[in-house]
Amino acid sequence: MGFDALLNALLEVASGGGILYLLAGVMFGLCFGVIPGLGGTTALALLIPVTFGMESLDAMYLAGGVMGATSFGGSITAILLNTPGTAPNAATTFDGYPLAQQGKAGLAIGASACASAMGGLIGLFTLIIFIPVAKEIVLSFGPAEFFLLTVLGLTAIAVSVRGKLLRGLIAGVIGLCFAFVGSDAITGDLRFTGGINYLWDGIPLVPTLTGMFAISQMMELALKGGSVSGGGSEPAIKMKISGVWQGVISVFKNWDVLLRGSLIGTLIGAIPGLGGTVASFLAYSSTVQTDKDPDSYGKGNIRGVIAPESANNAKDGGSLIPTVAFGIPGSAETALFLGILVLHGIDPGPTMLLYNEREIYGLIVAITFAAVGASLLGLIFSRFLVLITRVDVGIVVPTVIAISLTGVYVLDGRMADVLLTVIMGLLGYLMIRFDYPRLTLVIALVLGETAEKSFHQLQLISDGQALQFMLARPVSVILIVATIITFFLPIARKMLASHRKKAA
Amino acid sequence: MKHTIKAGVLLMAAAFAGPALADYPEDGSITFVIPYSAGGGFDTIVRAFAPEVEKALGATVVPENISGASGTRGGQSVARAKADGYTIGIYNVPGLNVAETLDRDLGFSLKDVTWIANLAESKYAIAVKSDSPIQSVKDLCDLGRPIKLSDTGKDSTSSIAAVIAFNIMDCPIINVTGYGGSNDTMIAVMRGEVDATLKPISSLKKYTDSGDLRLIATMTEDTAVEGIPTTTELGYPELAKFGLNRVVGGPPNMPEDIVVKLTAAFKAASESASVTEWAAGSGTELLFMDSAATKVMMDDLGTFYEQYKAMLQ
Repeated sequence: MGFDALLNALLEVASGGGILYLLAGVMFGLCFGVIPGLGGTTALALLIPVTFGMESLDAMYLAGGVMGATSFGGSITAILLNTPGTAPNAATTFDGYPLAQQGKAGLAIGASACASAMGGLIGLFTLIIFIPVAKEIVLSFGPAEFFLLTVLGLTAIAVSVRGKLLRGLIAGVIGLCFAFVGSDAITGDLRFTGGINYLWDGIPLVPTLTGMFAISQMMELALKGGSVSGGGSEPAIKMKISGVWQGVISVFKNWDVLLRGSLIGTLIGAIPGLGGTVASFLAYSSTVQTDKDPDSYGKGNIRGVIAPESANNAKDGGSLIPTVAFGIPGSAETALFLGILVLHGIDPGPTMLLYNEREIYGLIVAITFAAVGASLLGLIFSRFLVLITRVDVGIVVPTVIAISLTGVYVLDGRMADVLLTVIMGLLGYLMIRFDYPRLTLVIALVLGETAEKSFHQLQLISDGQALQFMLARPVSVILIVATIITFFLPIARKMLASHRKKAA
Repeated sequence: MKHTIKAGVLLMAAAFAGPALADYPEDGSITFVIPYSAGGGFDTIVRAFAPEVEKALGATVVPENISGASGTRGGQSVARAKADGYTIGIYNVPGLNVAETLDRDLGFSLKDVTWIANLAESKYAIAVKSDSPIQSVKDLCDLGRPIKLSDTGKDSTSSIAAVIAFNIMDCPIINVTGYGGSNDTMIAVMRGEVDATLKPISSLKKYTDSGDLRLIATMTEDTAVEGIPTTTELGYPELAKFGLNRVVGGPPNMPEDIVVKLTAAFKAASESASVTEWAAGSGTELLFMDSAATKVMMDDLGTFYEQYKAMLQ
């Protein structure tokens, strides 16, 4: 039944004006993805009122186009400027930017485009396979599992910051402290708000991310001068723009990374509240951990681009699992997508797959086409995009700062958001200067809120017997084991290595 | 050249003088403030009504989302606007009434709002998992331990209703809050981590239709769902007072004639084919009240929640 509906949806997108809406969505999503501070959430939020007069299926194509295209768009600036266009691309900067600095931006963009498209396809394929059991999957993830997933994520922080463990932990703790600001999700008590109303809802994510990644990086660039690939004031003349196809091929050569990244992306995507940033970060850190040569990462290893990029596109498929099962959003984007459905008189819920199969499969097809289409467009334009790294920072910096601050303002129309972005930018710059990892702070901020809330819920529903409660649930047990492995694997490996050295 | 300048000046003068001269709502557009972001329940009802109100008034209606601070930011911006009928808003009722009862600073006073109309109302029901052994409210109260309920936030209207309602029925509860949305609270019941949930009948309907949840009582005066007892029948008539209303209002001291025009436009819209069709599709229970009836209801709600002030603090 699922594949029949899929074929019908394919037919429908091909006929009529659907494809135009899809293309419009892809272009819109690509632009919003490229610009730091603007992302899929902003794009969809701005589009919601526009879709009101549209046919519901056309609205799906538009939304799907945006959702599928933003994450690849964001990887372009992540690679070229060390500034992730959207939050989930943050992990792409680790190896993407070093590649760009070495003049291999084409290789990185090629790999990112291909990994995005393939990740998107794998994510949606997984979704279609799991639609019949979507309900069971969602029901097996309760507060206990959410809490354990955040613990797993936090453990991955500790082990991902290779060689800078203490700095990584400090950044993580700052992130957790930030996560506690605002009213308690359960009791409603206000904490650390300092009498500022703005902080009641906590420290908002988008301004934090934009400040941490876009503004701080622009400060760094401005003070350094020259251009990205030029290093100092010397213009880079001999930079090669070729290598795009090598990048595409590299994805298939590293199919294990692609597959793992996609599956992690799909799983994390299905968990409400975690989202693409955590998905791509976990995909990256697990790839580094399981690699034979973990020290080659962070210096321009192409596998470090493939892992996060496949994960952040696969998460779109995953985030639709709770949506088709119960009408609950798996990500901020799907929340807005559900808003579009509501606007069209469709009530998100368990009966959606029965009554609104057309719209759901329309969206699936749209996201698939968008993921592939955006990557193709990206490949076509990559030759020109790479030139950004040669543009003088005197032009790049003010442009990016102006656009990203505007983007932050547009989302909610609050000047305080802009102020917070600047403050986070300063903090981010200090972190760059003193060599503290910024992404760990952000990941801890994202995870901290879910961790605290689900732990509190877990305490309430288990009558204070949290451990017993978790041990009785199979999914919880699997997650506990995974966390222990994540924590001890690097230590065990280190001990093994030193043991071998001694033996030799 | 000279003439063009003169004409231009005249034109500008006419443009600026326009608003003062024209008859409401002939010039310009009406801003309809939604205190929550696009795509939510408040947003949706406004966007469903807007085109029909437009037709009835003959003026453009522009929905504007001003979200933040639990719906108070939008209310503040309406309260600050000119009382000329070109800015109106939708209000979170009874969320704002409760906040005001608890002496929270809304940045404006509900008593000053010019009430224009009530558009819709939903009543609550109590639901359990469909295969749960609990068959009635009595079974639920006789569990021998505090009942676990699921909710989004401690300040949410359904959570407030649950705290008061179960207190009236004399059943101790643990309200597990922090769920992402009302759908998540119902899924928590299906997962079995909580015993029951108290939610609007219209939101519960999709899960009772799909066979995942079962109602044990509706908090209404008359039977709302066939075969399900009402709390009034169970001997708790005051529980039927709880509900969720979609109320339209404007800045303080709006001129009477403008209010009359707006009320009439909303009445026409609520009777229009497109709105009733939308309501049927989305499970919205339309309930039109004119400005006088809305004002009475709002005052009543204030006194109603006042008596439970101690319980809510």
